[in-house]
Amino acid sequence: MTVATIPQTASPPPIDGIFRALSDPTRRRVVERLNRSPASVSELAEPFGMALPSFVEHLKVLEGCGLVRSQKTGRIRTYQLAPEPLKLAENWLAEQRTLWESRLDQFDAYVMKLKESDK
Amino acid sequence: MNMTPLFKPDPRLDLVLERVVDAPRELLWTAYTKPEHVRQWFTPKPWIVTDCEIDLRPGGLFRTRMQSPDGKQVNDRRCCYLDIVPNERLVWTDALLPGYRPSGDPFITAVISFQPEGKATRYTATAIHRDEATRNNHEEMGFYDGWGTVLDQLAQYVKTI
Repeated sequence: MTVATIPQTASPPPIDGIFRALSDPTRRRVVERLNRSPASVSELAEPFGMALPSFVEHLKVLEGCGLVRSQKTGRIRTYQLAPEPLKLAENWLAEQRTLWESRLDQFDAYVMKLKESDK
Repeated sequence: MNMTPLFKPDPRLDLVLERVVDAPRELLWTAYTKPEHVRQWFTPKPWIVTDCEIDLRPGGLFRTRMQSPDGKQVNDRRCCYLDIVPNERLVWTDALLPGYRPSGDPFITAVISFQPEGKATRYTATAIHRDEATRNNHEEMGFYDGWGTVLDQLAQYVKTI
């Protein structure tokens, strides 16, 4: 959440989009597949027996919430997991803790700076 | 007078963080209560505080406007101070707007307390969260079959990066 949540926290929750994306079984399986290695659209689509345009919609949802990234080389688009948003999907309280820890880190550093400049 | 502690942290909802800083508590108090200082540290980087307003009295406004690095996401929070004991304790909540008007989106009450420890200061930041907020949050996430497993795998994956 880092930021966090801020929803609610300092960072308003992109986490909602992440969980919406993960609420669909096809998309979860895509994420599980990408957890092993990056893959092309056709490799990802292969196990599903779904019309390609519908499948691409799922990929767009995953990419839209930032869970995956894609890159086009020639005619082949390759997808891979993006690590940052996954950290947001961790436990809610852990996210709040991360927010406060980094806030207090910054506070401590700032107070020390003030103290120095007071001298 | 009833001396029972008012606040009992709930480990599922609340945070209690305790730290010692090698600086007098008057300085910590200043850093917590002057807008020009709060702007410098209140929001974890890379987010920034673009605006901060402080009306330091019970019922007064504590506003921070926070912005994502690309400027596309903004979180403008207006909180209300509840308790102010200079150099000792600062309490605010977003459950109330300034002037004690109940707000529509309560989420947190924050209690910061400062105690001298020699030349240093021990301070405690307590974040008390609303039960319903967490529950709603979880409902939005949806406890669908299998996503727990996915998240476990994701958590593992993140550790390998």
